[in-house]
Amino acid sequence: MSAVIQNLVNQPYKHGFHTDIESDIVPKGLNEDVVRVISAKKREPDWLLEFRLKAFRHWQTMIEPEWPNVKYPKIDFQDISYYSAPRPKATKKSMDEVDPELLRTFEKLGVPMHERAALAGVAVDVVFDSVSVTTTYKEKLAEVGIIFCSFSEAVRDHPELVKQYLGSVVPHTDNFYAALNSAVFSDGSFCYIPKGVKCPMDLSTYFRINTQDTGQFERTLIIAEEGGQVSYLEGCTAPQFDTNQLHAAVVELIALDNAEIKYSTVQNWYAGDEEGKGGIYNFVTKRGLCKGFNSKISWTQVETGSAITWKYPSCVLLGDNSVGEFYSVALTNHHQQADTGTKMVHVGKNTRSRIISKGISAGLSNNSYRGLVKIGARADGARNYSQCDSMLIGDLCGAHTFPYLQVANKTATVEHEASTSKIGEEQLFYFSSRGIETEEAVSMIINGFVRDVFIHLPMEFAVEATKLLGLKLEGSVG
Amino acid sequence: MSTVESNPVESDFLASLLAPAAQTAEGHDLWLKARRASALERASALSVPTTRDEDWRFTDLSMLYRLKLKAADAGGQVDSAILTTLMFPEATTRLVFVDGHFDRSASSIAQEEKVRVGNLEQALRDSAWRSTLGEVESRLATVARVEHDVFAAANTAFLREAAIVHVAAGAQLGDTPIQVINVATGHATGSNPRVLVVAGQGSGCTVIEDYVAVGGSAYFTNSVCEIAIGPDAEVHHIKLQREADTAFHIANTTVLMQDNSRYRNWSVGVGGRISRHNLHVVQDGTGIDCDMHGLAMISGRQLADTHSSVDHALPYGASRQVHKTIAGGSAHAVFNGKILVREGAQQTNSSQQSRNLLLSQRAKVDTKPQLEIFADDVKCAHGATVGQIAADEVFYLKSRGLSETAARNLLTYAFAKEVVEHIPVASVIAVLENHILEQTRTKEA
Repeated sequence: MSAVIQNLVNQPYKHGFHTDIESDIVPKGLNEDVVRVISAKKREPDWLLEFRLKAFRHWQTMIEPEWPNVKYPKIDFQDISYYSAPRPKATKKSMDEVDPELLRTFEKLGVPMHERAALAGVAVDVVFDSVSVTTTYKEKLAEVGIIFCSFSEAVRDHPELVKQYLGSVVPHTDNFYAALNSAVFSDGSFCYIPKGVKCPMDLSTYFRINTQDTGQFERTLIIAEEGGQVSYLEGCTAPQFDTNQLHAAVVELIALDNAEIKYSTVQNWYAGDEEGKGGIYNFVTKRGLCKGFNSKISWTQVETGSAITWKYPSCVLLGDNSVGEFYSVALTNHHQQADTGTKMVHVGKNTRSRIISKGISAGLSNNSYRGLVKIGARADGARNYSQCDSMLIGDLCGAHTFPYLQVANKTATVEHEASTSKIGEEQLFYFSSRGIETEEAVSMIINGFVRDVFIHLPMEFAVEATKLLGLKLEGSVG
Repeated sequence: MSTVESNPVESDFLASLLAPAAQTAEGHDLWLKARRASALERASALSVPTTRDEDWRFTDLSMLYRLKLKAADAGGQVDSAILTTLMFPEATTRLVFVDGHFDRSASSIAQEEKVRVGNLEQALRDSAWRSTLGEVESRLATVARVEHDVFAAANTAFLREAAIVHVAAGAQLGDTPIQVINVATGHATGSNPRVLVVAGQGSGCTVIEDYVAVGGSAYFTNSVCEIAIGPDAEVHHIKLQREADTAFHIANTTVLMQDNSRYRNWSVGVGGRISRHNLHVVQDGTGIDCDMHGLAMISGRQLADTHSSVDHALPYGASRQVHKTIAGGSAHAVFNGKILVREGAQQTNSSQQSRNLLLSQRAKVDTKPQLEIFADDVKCAHGATVGQIAADEVFYLKSRGLSETAARNLLTYAFAKEVVEHIPVASVIAVLENHILEQTRTKEA
């Protein structure tokens, strides 16, 4: 049986190509001068340079975390170039002005921007390597007062908002990689939903890593004012490289009274080849702050790529009655390693959180769920439900769960359950007795397994994610 | 253990913990002496844990480290009338240790064929033990893990008196339990009780490991229990921790299981200012079955911490675990349960439940059920809940005429009873039920 499953998983990376575009690269290495150069290149105000320098100085005092359940050779932080931008050309007014090479890249990825944007009604803020090249649908959003732009533009045009919220959810002292990001972040997305506005379309960003040996350090900041609502999609694909690339992003979400933010991710960075050579290190800090009364933050993620995934999209439930959600599917194959999960910190009264995590391990991979549910002493009536299920495909992979439950309030109710299983012979027999072939049966079983999460994905993502799982697991069950 | 330089309080504590061991190195058989020496060396090389160590994050021992330790050459005096009340009538064989020292006059050993029970010090000199000493030697201080645990290593460094239970192949003790009772009088402030159970092929026995206090001051019990279960054998192990509320209790239990053996454990902790139980079960064979029932019922400023691990090393193993905590007052309950399924341990069937009941606003629970799985053809599940007594259940009982307090007490009692009710010794159940009722009754007042 496993031989057939094995064949199903071993599909080469379909987005593996490398576009040659002239890049403006800062020499390898990291010191205060590099931080100053990055800031200067981006023409940043002094307060932002101060923020970077403070973070850099703090980062120098920190040591790399070793507690995650992942193994990798030590990263030489002096062997990374911290800034790479496509050569600046005159500001583009229309798609025609965009580098045709760049457009061809998107085409190969199956993202015909204008078509996709028009047909799907999605505004795409394209981060190509580190600088936003173009932003679409800006005007339409501006009509309702929504600000959706690259991070650098936000710094230029709305410094008061950036200054107020940058680092308010993930301070520069938070962890090793958040500090590094705070010091050298290149660009990212910024989104501001004003009071009472429901964003008329799903917002989407494409992150790609393009220039070899360049770490990408995005910074995303989303603010939903009182009663604001937004659904934000983040999708990742990356070209095939041999050397490991570091990706240390920081995402901060802030929801004020009655606001709602839904953040969905499909992550398919290059995972390395079958021998575990190459692949992206995805060390990300994502955190949402439910600051206001009745606010809600929902994370949905489908993690299928990266050599190492190390991320815990979290919610701090500060406002009374606020809600945090985390829906995750993490798939690992070959030599991939994932240590992912969430943190739900209940501070306010009657706060609720829900965690659904589905891990699928195949090949020689290791997949860990690590989660924290913390109920503070003042969080009366707090409620949490967690479910984390693992599926093992093949006998050389591993599945692990590390759920921390910390409860300091007697009126809280916390439930956690986890199970581990495999695709059973009986299940496959049942399918085959009904005339369904093994391959199709496996895909149906897996789709059933991840259904609880996929129903929370926006439509186009759900379709893409289903295809992605099928692709990733082709040949691994049978 | 921590790699950071330990502070003077911690290193002083370790020095005073180990000091008497160095003085009592002489005598006994060479193998025992060698084991003590290597454990002493190991313990000296380690440092005592602090909250910086992941395994001790929630259990702060700094209060213990400030305790002035005083070992006693002999145990204190215990009134025989009091002692009698602590005995379980079903047990015809009782070993009594007072402050870590064997009390021969208080003990009674029923002569059973194929069963040897006694104190290590005498066993080494007694000709009746000669045929079993080989097995004792191969198991004593080899089942427990001393390499990384400073407390287990320290206990081993003192190893001269120990309760030894040896059940020969095929011997069945039926429902007659063996009670090993460790009494703390407050005469000494530090003791290192030790228990070894060796169950031969196809044998069966029930052992009650009991910690009680007759004195009230602060003291430290650092116990180690080793259980080696041979092929097809079955051991029932009841660990009762009834220490004083001022005591520090650190216990290490390691169970080594061979093919098709069975282990059933009940661990009930009600005493101790700070108590910690490390329960490691190693399934070193195929077709092994174990189940573990834990209960910690604490209030006031007590802290009860249980760290368990089940190591499924070979195929066809099964394990079930239910751990319950009831925390009132400002008590703090900690549970960490790890299930490890190694590569190749196919057809493992394992389940684990952590159930926690918070009775008061200031009580706190930290629980972490943990699965680490490296085999694909397995069924593993765990669950954890933290909550309070359900309002609708209280309402139901009130509608039947019970007072609010009576309803809450009844529900608390029922919550605890699930762990207690299947203990195979009736008088143990009675004692524990009384204790639970008393606990809930005091709250009514």
